[in-house]
Amino acid sequence: MSTSVELKEGASLPTIKKNIVQDNIDRYAKASGDFNPIHIDADYARKTPLGGTVAHGMLILAYSSQMMTNAFGHDWLSGGRLNVRFRAPARPGDVITISGTVRRIEKAEGYQMIDCDVLCSNQNDEPVITGDARVKVGDNENRG
Amino acid sequence: MAEHEKIEYQDLKAGQEFPSAAFQVDTATVADYLKAVEEDNVIYRNTGLVPPMALAALALKALINTISMPPGTIHVSQEFEFIAAVNTRDTLTSQAKVSRVQERGKLHLMTVDISVVNQEQKPVLAGKTSFVLPVQ
Repeated sequence: MSTSVELKEGASLPTIKKNIVQDNIDRYAKASGDFNPIHIDADYARKTPLGGTVAHGMLILAYSSQMMTNAFGHDWLSGGRLNVRFRAPARPGDVITISGTVRRIEKAEGYQMIDCDVLCSNQNDEPVITGDARVKVGDNENRG
Repeated sequence: MAEHEKIEYQDLKAGQEFPSAAFQVDTATVADYLKAVEEDNVIYRNTGLVPPMALAALALKALINTISMPPGTIHVSQEFEFIAAVNTRDTLTSQAKVSRVQERGKLHLMTVDISVVNQEQKPVLAGKTSFVLPVQ
Protein backbone atom coordinates (compact mmCIF):
# COMPACT_ATOMS: atom_id res chain seq x y z
CA MET A 1 0.00 0.00 0.00
CA SER A 2 1.47 3.39 -0.95
CA THR A 3 -0.95 6.05 0.22
CA SER A 4 0.09 9.40 1.60
CA VAL A 5 -3.40 9.99 2.93
CA GLU A 6 -4.85 9.14 6.28
CA LEU A 7 -7.36 6.48 5.32
CA LYS A 8 -10.28 7.81 7.25
CA GLU A 9 -13.67 9.00 6.07
CA GLY A 10 -13.67 12.78 5.89
CA ALA A 11 -9.88 13.02 5.41
CA SER A 12 -8.66 15.59 2.89
CA LEU A 13 -6.53 14.64 -0.08
CA PRO A 14 -3.36 16.67 -0.68
CA THR A 15 -4.57 19.84 -2.40
CA ILE A 16 -2.70 21.21 -5.38
CA LYS A 17 -2.88 24.59 -7.09
CA LYS A 18 -2.19 25.27 -10.74
CA ASN A 19 -1.79 28.54 -12.59
CA ILE A 20 -3.40 28.29 -16.00
CA VAL A 21 -1.02 29.72 -18.57
CA GLN A 22 -1.27 29.64 -22.34
CA ASP A 23 2.17 28.04 -22.68
CA ASN A 24 1.00 24.97 -20.77
CA ILE A 25 -2.23 24.82 -22.78
CA ASP A 26 -0.13 24.89 -25.97
CA ARG A 27 2.17 22.18 -24.56
CA TYR A 28 -0.83 20.07 -23.64
CA ALA A 29 -2.23 20.46 -27.16
CA LYS A 30 1.03 19.10 -28.58
CA ALA A 31 1.28 16.28 -26.04
CA SER A 32 -2.35 15.19 -26.44
CA GLY A 33 -2.82 15.97 -30.13
CA ASP A 34 -5.91 18.08 -29.39
CA PHE A 35 -5.37 21.21 -31.49
CA ASN A 36 -8.94 22.54 -31.30
CA PRO A 37 -8.46 26.29 -31.97
CA ILE A 38 -10.61 27.21 -28.98
CA HIS A 39 -7.61 26.18 -26.87
CA ILE A 40 -4.69 27.55 -28.85
CA ASP A 41 -5.80 30.23 -31.33
CA ALA A 42 -6.44 33.54 -29.52
CA ASP A 43 -7.87 35.28 -32.60
CA TYR A 44 -10.29 32.45 -33.29
CA ALA A 45 -11.28 32.07 -29.63
CA ARG A 46 -11.92 35.82 -29.21
CA LYS A 47 -14.71 35.64 -31.79
CA THR A 48 -16.51 32.76 -30.05
CA PRO A 49 -19.01 33.06 -27.16
CA LEU A 50 -16.16 32.08 -24.80
CA GLY A 51 -14.35 35.30 -25.72
CA GLY A 52 -10.87 33.81 -25.48
CA THR A 53 -8.91 30.61 -25.26
CA VAL A 54 -9.78 28.04 -22.61
CA ALA A 55 -7.78 25.13 -21.23
CA HIS A 56 -8.60 21.62 -22.38
CA GLY A 57 -11.00 19.98 -19.92
CA MET A 58 -8.68 16.99 -20.03
CA LEU A 59 -5.79 19.17 -18.83
CA ILE A 60 -7.73 20.14 -15.71
CA LEU A 61 -8.79 16.53 -15.29
CA ALA A 62 -5.11 15.55 -15.50
CA TYR A 63 -4.53 17.72 -12.43
CA SER A 64 -7.20 15.72 -10.59
CA SER A 65 -5.44 12.51 -11.54
CA GLN A 66 -2.17 14.08 -10.35
CA MET A 67 -3.72 14.70 -6.94
CA MET A 68 -4.91 11.09 -6.80
CA THR A 69 -1.44 9.83 -7.81
CA ASN A 70 0.11 11.98 -5.08
CA ALA A 71 -2.33 10.48 -2.60
CA PHE A 72 -2.46 6.83 -3.65
CA GLY A 73 0.64 6.16 -5.79
CA HIS A 74 0.67 2.94 -7.80
CA ASP A 75 -2.78 2.00 -6.58
CA TRP A 76 -4.20 4.90 -8.60
CA LEU A 77 -2.41 3.83 -11.78
CA SER A 78 -3.88 0.34 -11.72
CA GLY A 79 -7.12 0.65 -9.84
CA GLY A 80 -8.35 4.22 -10.12
CA ARG A 81 -11.66 5.46 -11.47
CA LEU A 82 -12.73 9.02 -12.24
CA ASN A 83 -16.24 10.18 -13.01
CA VAL A 84 -16.55 13.93 -13.54
CA ARG A 85 -18.54 16.73 -15.09
CA PHE A 86 -16.92 19.74 -16.70
CA ARG A 87 -18.79 22.67 -15.15
CA ALA A 88 -16.99 25.75 -16.42
CA PRO A 89 -14.01 26.61 -18.58
CA ALA A 90 -10.59 27.38 -17.11
CA ARG A 91 -8.90 30.34 -18.77
CA PRO A 92 -5.34 31.63 -18.90
CA GLY A 93 -4.82 33.65 -15.74
CA ASP A 94 -7.05 31.43 -13.63
CA VAL A 95 -5.70 29.70 -10.54
CA ILE A 96 -7.23 26.27 -10.15
CA THR A 97 -7.34 24.50 -6.80
CA ILE A 98 -7.70 20.73 -6.97
CA SER A 99 -9.02 19.22 -3.79
CA GLY A 100 -10.64 16.03 -2.60
CA THR A 101 -12.13 14.32 0.40
CA VAL A 102 -12.42 10.67 1.35
CA ARG A 103 -16.17 10.05 1.36
CA ARG A 104 -16.36 6.33 2.09
CA ILE A 105 -14.08 3.40 2.81
CA GLU A 106 -15.21 -0.10 2.05
CA LYS A 107 -13.05 -2.85 3.51
CA ALA A 108 -12.68 -6.17 1.74
CA GLU A 109 -10.26 -9.08 2.08
CA GLY A 110 -6.84 -7.88 0.92
CA TYR A 111 -7.86 -4.42 -0.16
CA GLN A 112 -9.93 -1.33 0.59
CA MET A 113 -12.15 0.55 -1.83
CA ILE A 114 -11.83 4.29 -1.27
CA ASP A 115 -14.48 6.68 -2.63
CA CYS A 116 -13.53 10.34 -2.84
CA ASP A 117 -15.20 13.58 -3.84
CA VAL A 118 -13.10 15.60 -6.27
CA LEU A 119 -13.38 19.32 -6.93
CA CYS A 120 -11.45 21.69 -9.16
CA SER A 121 -12.41 25.29 -8.54
CA ASN A 122 -11.10 28.61 -9.74
CA GLN A 123 -9.92 31.67 -7.81
CA ASN A 124 -13.55 32.81 -7.46
CA ASP A 125 -14.52 29.47 -5.88
CA GLU A 126 -16.49 28.57 -8.97
CA PRO A 127 -16.46 24.84 -9.72
CA VAL A 128 -14.64 23.94 -12.92
CA ILE A 129 -14.81 20.16 -12.46
CA THR A 130 -16.88 18.21 -9.95
CA GLY A 131 -17.07 14.49 -9.54
CA ASP A 132 -15.84 11.48 -7.74
CA ALA A 133 -12.92 9.13 -7.75
CA ARG A 134 -12.63 5.56 -6.56
CA VAL A 135 -9.42 3.70 -5.88
CA LYS A 136 -8.71 0.14 -4.88
CA VAL A 137 -5.92 0.27 -2.33
CA GLY A 138 -3.73 -2.69 -1.47
CA ASP A 139 -4.29 -4.84 -4.56
CA ASN A 140 -0.97 -5.48 -6.35
CA GLU A 141 -2.30 -7.61 -9.18
CA ASN A 142 -2.27 -5.01 -11.96
CA ARG A 143 0.87 -3.05 -11.23
CA GLY A 144 3.16 -2.40 -14.19
CA MET B 1 -1.75 6.20 -35.28
CA ALA B 2 -3.44 5.44 -38.56
CA GLU B 3 -5.24 8.34 -40.18
CA HIS B 4 -8.85 7.70 -41.16
CA GLU B 5 -11.36 9.76 -43.07
CA LYS B 6 -13.42 11.75 -40.56
CA ILE B 7 -16.99 10.72 -39.89
CA GLU B 8 -19.59 13.51 -39.72
CA TYR B 9 -21.08 13.42 -36.26
CA GLN B 10 -24.63 13.68 -37.68
CA ASP B 11 -24.08 10.30 -39.31
CA LEU B 12 -23.23 8.55 -36.05
CA LYS B 13 -25.69 6.10 -34.56
CA ALA B 14 -25.74 4.32 -31.24
CA GLY B 15 -23.83 1.06 -31.54
CA GLN B 16 -21.53 2.37 -34.27
CA GLU B 17 -17.93 1.34 -33.80
CA PHE B 18 -14.90 3.37 -34.84
CA PRO B 19 -11.83 1.85 -36.46
CA SER B 20 -9.38 0.66 -33.82
CA ALA B 21 -6.11 2.53 -33.51
CA ALA B 22 -2.77 1.04 -32.45
CA PHE B 23 -0.27 3.26 -30.68
CA GLN B 24 2.59 3.42 -28.22
CA VAL B 25 3.31 6.07 -25.63
CA ASP B 26 7.05 6.59 -25.88
CA THR B 27 9.31 8.21 -23.30
CA ALA B 28 9.45 11.51 -25.23
CA THR B 29 5.64 11.72 -25.27
CA VAL B 30 5.51 10.98 -21.53
CA ALA B 31 8.14 13.69 -20.90
CA ASP B 32 6.17 16.23 -23.00
CA TYR B 33 2.98 15.32 -21.18
CA LEU B 34 4.56 15.62 -17.72
CA LYS B 35 5.93 19.03 -18.66
CA ALA B 36 2.55 20.19 -19.96
CA VAL B 37 0.73 19.18 -16.78
CA GLU B 38 3.64 20.19 -14.50
CA GLU B 39 3.77 16.79 -12.86
CA ASP B 40 7.00 15.65 -11.21
CA ASN B 41 5.88 12.64 -9.18
CA VAL B 42 8.84 10.26 -8.67
CA ILE B 43 6.57 7.42 -9.71
CA TYR B 44 7.32 8.38 -13.34
CA ARG B 45 11.06 9.01 -12.93
CA ASN B 46 13.02 6.45 -14.98
CA THR B 47 10.32 3.84 -14.44
CA GLY B 48 8.77 3.76 -17.90
CA LEU B 49 5.33 4.13 -16.34
CA VAL B 50 2.83 6.11 -18.38
CA PRO B 51 0.59 8.59 -16.52
CA PRO B 52 -2.94 7.22 -16.87
CA MET B 53 -4.30 10.55 -18.09
CA ALA B 54 -1.63 10.66 -20.82
CA LEU B 55 -2.94 7.34 -22.02
CA ALA B 56 -6.50 8.64 -21.73
CA ALA B 57 -5.64 11.76 -23.73
CA LEU B 58 -4.09 9.72 -26.53
CA ALA B 59 -7.07 7.36 -26.62
CA LEU B 60 -9.32 10.42 -26.92
CA LYS B 61 -7.07 11.81 -29.64
CA ALA B 62 -7.77 8.71 -31.69
CA LEU B 63 -11.48 9.40 -31.27
CA ILE B 64 -11.30 13.14 -31.95
CA ASN B 65 -9.29 12.48 -35.11
CA THR B 66 -12.05 10.20 -36.32
CA ILE B 67 -15.10 12.44 -35.86
CA SER B 68 -15.77 15.73 -37.54
CA MET B 69 -17.19 17.85 -34.73
CA PRO B 70 -18.69 21.31 -35.27
CA PRO B 71 -17.48 24.50 -33.54
CA GLY B 72 -19.31 24.85 -30.25
CA THR B 73 -18.88 21.21 -29.27
CA ILE B 74 -18.53 20.91 -25.51
CA HIS B 75 -16.95 18.04 -23.61
CA VAL B 76 -19.46 17.76 -20.76
CA SER B 77 -18.50 14.69 -18.79
CA GLN B 78 -15.89 12.01 -18.58
CA GLU B 79 -15.44 8.67 -16.89
CA PHE B 80 -12.19 6.71 -16.80
CA GLU B 81 -11.19 3.46 -15.20
CA PHE B 82 -7.45 2.82 -15.02
CA ILE B 83 -7.46 -0.95 -15.02
CA ALA B 84 -3.76 -1.77 -15.27
CA ALA B 85 -0.56 0.25 -15.28
CA VAL B 86 0.92 0.96 -18.72
CA ASN B 87 4.59 1.09 -19.62
CA THR B 88 6.33 2.86 -22.49
CA ARG B 89 7.27 -0.54 -23.95
CA ASP B 90 3.60 -1.57 -24.29
CA THR B 91 1.80 -1.59 -27.62
CA LEU B 92 -1.74 -0.39 -27.17
CA THR B 93 -4.92 -0.55 -29.18
CA SER B 94 -7.84 1.76 -28.57
CA GLN B 95 -11.40 1.05 -29.56
CA ALA B 96 -14.44 3.29 -29.38
CA LYS B 97 -18.15 2.81 -29.85
CA VAL B 98 -21.06 5.26 -29.79
CA SER B 99 -23.23 4.25 -26.87
CA ARG B 100 -25.81 7.04 -27.02
CA VAL B 101 -27.00 9.76 -29.37
CA GLN B 102 -29.83 11.95 -28.22
CA GLU B 103 -31.29 15.11 -29.71
CA ARG B 104 -32.49 17.76 -27.28
CA GLY B 105 -33.77 20.85 -29.05
CA LYS B 106 -30.86 22.44 -30.84
CA LEU B 107 -28.31 20.17 -29.23
CA HIS B 108 -27.12 16.62 -29.66
CA LEU B 109 -25.83 14.65 -26.71
CA MET B 110 -23.39 11.96 -27.75
CA THR B 111 -21.69 9.43 -25.53
CA VAL B 112 -18.79 7.29 -26.71
CA ASP B 113 -17.34 4.30 -24.86
CA ILE B 114 -13.58 3.95 -25.14
CA SER B 115 -11.38 1.01 -24.27
CA VAL B 116 -7.67 0.37 -24.55
CA VAL B 117 -5.97 -3.01 -24.44
CA ASN B 118 -2.25 -3.86 -24.37
CA GLN B 119 -0.31 -6.25 -26.58
CA GLU B 120 -1.64 -9.18 -24.53
CA GLN B 121 -5.20 -7.99 -25.20
CA LYS B 122 -5.46 -7.20 -21.51
CA PRO B 123 -7.70 -4.17 -20.79
CA VAL B 124 -5.76 -1.26 -19.37
CA LEU B 125 -8.23 1.62 -19.69
CA ALA B 126 -11.97 2.03 -20.08
CA GLY B 127 -13.85 5.28 -20.40
CA LYS B 128 -17.02 7.05 -21.33
CA THR B 129 -16.90 10.45 -23.01
CA SER B 130 -19.93 12.70 -23.43
CA PHE B 131 -20.15 15.67 -25.76
CA VAL B 132 -22.87 18.20 -26.43
CA LEU B 133 -22.87 19.29 -30.07
CA PRO B 134 -24.96 22.01 -31.73
CA VAL B 135 -27.39 20.68 -34.33
CA GLN B 136 -26.38 22.08 -37.72
